[in-house]
Amino acid sequence: MIHVVPVLFGALFTVATAWALGMLLLRNLALSFDPWERRLLAFFAGSACLSAILFALSAAHLAYRGVLLALGLGSIGYAAYSGALRSPGKAFAPLAPLWRWVFIPAFAAFTWYGFFNALVPEHSSDGMAYHLSEVVIYQHAHGFPRITNDIFASLSQGIELLYLFAFDFGRHSAATLVHYAFLIALAFLVLSYGRRIGRPAVGVAGAIFTYTSPVVLRDATVAYVDVALAAVLFALFYLLQVWDESRDSNLLVPIGLLAGFCYAVKYTGFLAVPYAVGFVAWKLLRNARKPLLRPVLVIALSAAVMVLPWMVKNWIEVVNPVSPLANRTFPNPYVHISQEDFMRKYFSSYDLASRWQIPLDVTVKGDHLGAFLGPIFVLTPLALLALRFREGRQLLLAGLLLGSTYFGNIGTRFLIPIVPFVSLALALAVANLPWLLFALLVANIIACWPAMYRIYCSPNAWRLEEIPVAAALRLQSEDDYLSQDPEYRIVRMIGRVVPPGDRIFAIGQNGTSYLPRELLIGHHSAANEVIEDILWTPVAAGYQPVLSVKFDFPPREFRKLRVVLKGSETDGQWSITELRIFDGPKELPRDPGWRLTAHPNPWDVQLAFDNTPVTRWRSWQPAAPGMYVEVDFPRPQPASSVVVESSYETVNTKIALEGMGTDGQWTTVSDHPAITTHPIRTSLRMAAIAELKARGIQYVVIHPGDPGADDFFRYPAAWGLSLVGQESGAHLYRIP
Amino acid sequence: MFLIRAACLLLCVLCLAACDRLPQSYPPPEQRQPVAGFNPGPDAMMVSMEDSDADPVIVKDIYPGTGIPWRWTKQEPTVKVLVFSTESVKFSADFAIWDDSFKTTGPLEISFLVNGKLLDKIRYTTPGKKHFEKPVPADWLAGNTEATVALSVDKLYIAPRSGDEYGVILSRLGLKP
Repeated sequence: MIHVVPVLFGALFTVATAWALGMLLLRNLALSFDPWERRLLAFFAGSACLSAILFALSAAHLAYRGVLLALGLGSIGYAAYSGALRSPGKAFAPLAPLWRWVFIPAFAAFTWYGFFNALVPEHSSDGMAYHLSEVVIYQHAHGFPRITNDIFASLSQGIELLYLFAFDFGRHSAATLVHYAFLIALAFLVLSYGRRIGRPAVGVAGAIFTYTSPVVLRDATVAYVDVALAAVLFALFYLLQVWDESRDSNLLVPIGLLAGFCYAVKYTGFLAVPYAVGFVAWKLLRNARKPLLRPVLVIALSAAVMVLPWMVKNWIEVVNPVSPLANRTFPNPYVHISQEDFMRKYFSSYDLASRWQIPLDVTVKGDHLGAFLGPIFVLTPLALLALRFREGRQLLLAGLLLGSTYFGNIGTRFLIPIVPFVSLALALAVANLPWLLFALLVANIIACWPAMYRIYCSPNAWRLEEIPVAAALRLQSEDDYLSQDPEYRIVRMIGRVVPPGDRIFAIGQNGTSYLPRELLIGHHSAANEVIEDILWTPVAAGYQPVLSVKFDFPPREFRKLRVVLKGSETDGQWSITELRIFDGPKELPRDPGWRLTAHPNPWDVQLAFDNTPVTRWRSWQPAAPGMYVEVDFPRPQPASSVVVESSYETVNTKIALEGMGTDGQWTTVSDHPAITTHPIRTSLRMAAIAELKARGIQYVVIHPGDPGADDFFRYPAAWGLSLVGQESGAHLYRIP
Repeated sequence: MFLIRAACLLLCVLCLAACDRLPQSYPPPEQRQPVAGFNPGPDAMMVSMEDSDADPVIVKDIYPGTGIPWRWTKQEPTVKVLVFSTESVKFSADFAIWDDSFKTTGPLEISFLVNGKLLDKIRYTTPGKKHFEKPVPADWLAGNTEATVALSVDKLYIAPRSGDEYGVILSRLGLKP
């Protein structure tokens, strides 16, 4: 049980530091709120400030425990000393007894579930796989190391930096509890909003609808960031409403900070900035006497403080300020366009047969889209009745705008940010019928109780199922609890076998936040996808370079030669395993003075000139006319034929050979190549492993179900691999 | 005015940060050569019944066994092997005909098959240890792909009590360079 103390300390210390910073900010801006409102908004504003400070510390590699301790103690101490922790102001009228006695037991009962689930050792898939994996890396490096082989390290990580603060004291579960704190603050802020608009019953209902939503409670009890985003978005909405009432220009600073923080929490929160700017601008435009530029600039610059650091970091590290998105606009060697296209296509469909499946799946079943919001949200269309109120219009407008990114990823989690808005709008829609609101509230509480929803939701739905008190209080050891998860057992096995400093490659692997080793995962970066391609070439006949496309032409001198794609492929890519140039029967040795380039993906062009059958230059985007691979000779070079070795995947690809003669003019040398096939006579497996070794990889993890897994399992000797560990079906091989 | 100036300064800094470019052309890389010692050993295409990792390559008709250098077979014991080379490859099998079963079955005729094609058929008229080896035509095999290697026994010994069927006692089966 003593082991739970650092966990609680880490979480509480983080929350207290954020809160103290927020109280200092609000005090210095001389903002006026209800005392509870001030405390809640301070937590959100302070979280943004703490996150920004942690970014600066991480960028400077100063994220040491001592520095974080001093930052926390200094912030809390100074806030207390300066009197900033006091909450002056007129309080809202107390809740009516009926609503108080609905809210308190419901909140307490679901908190019983939520708190203990948040306290258990973190074992969520994304939490273990990347939210906390990056945190572990930052903790070891005391800041941001340059990471180019993991797309998740390029996402904005405003909340993960708060996790870093908590993790340094209480490790994984402390980070999770910080996320849960955002849900608690959100629930009370929703309640507070109802009281602010003079409809406390609406606040109670909105808070309970939000807090008890199965996907919201599940998400908040793991180290994800969706609920934090929902909370920060709602806090932004709240501040904008307060500003609309008071027109206090000092509010514009926290408004801008929170708008920018939404982007820093998660890319999908980017709309918060135009929403805040647009809201203020629209309100001021309606009153023509008010100056517009200064308020808008204050918001934009405050938001920029939160947004730009992440963009600049990405720009410096991976040449794309919004990596891993927009790779066509910002071409780079770190994320393939095909990877972005694949993610975009999959996340916008989840392979659903029809989008008409979405409403029932996201509200009740949680089968295909991961989780469910709760049956009350089936009534979402009723929320339109709230349009008759000004507050209802504001809620629905914010929900509509901020939820408009949903169709980019239709997983239920991506609806969490609009849950508070829909909850309040639903409650407001029936606010004039208190008995109906009460009935809906009670029905929702019953329907969202875990013992009840297992009756109607899909068994696959992601949800809370039990209260693991023993694991939460560490009466059951962390290792014992986590060992129920095969992914955890696998990373523990890897950690035992692989010495520190050695690199591991896996097609896929979760649980890496418990693995203090460098593990490259196939789909996590362009370079890792190339490694996957290398590993699959020996076992995927379609990848093997059995095709020779030969251009014969009268001997002449060239300054440049290039193979150009003339046709397009609907889905397929273009690839070249080797490009060989001949002068008579003799292949020209590859002169160090040659300059090689390609369009697109020039960064991989050397793979078509390295003399190995397991590497290839690929377009990594759909093949299109005009793509080329080019050789620039240092001096005029006689040549009489060019051979392109490639795989059967490109058998129908129409290509031509173009050359630049000594006159500097490009001409088509040949567009009728002779195509022949030839068998592979060397060991592709050994060659593939040699390539991995050349890339500094010492170990490979293969799971059952990985492409080619059976081949590894049957013929490790053929790959030149030694089996050094096995766990839950996964095989760990050492590259000698 | 201060805010406008600050915004301009920030934009200038950002523009400066954009000055770096990734290279767009490269020299030819180091040329890869076959690495010494990477060629598979003489037993790389053989399956030994005592190997703990033999099970994944057994296709059919070989009884399970662990820690002993032989296993009983049924009618057509078959294994899969990965073909590294197609030139000068020989079928190779080490097996035994049990004395007691031979008394019941009499002489056995055993067929030797590669990818389902009959390589040879031999009549064994005595019990005891046997070794078979014969070159496989190169065009029966394809490099870097799996081939099935099998024996086919014409008569089976049926255990009187259990009714189980037994062919031969197999030690090693596969291809040799």
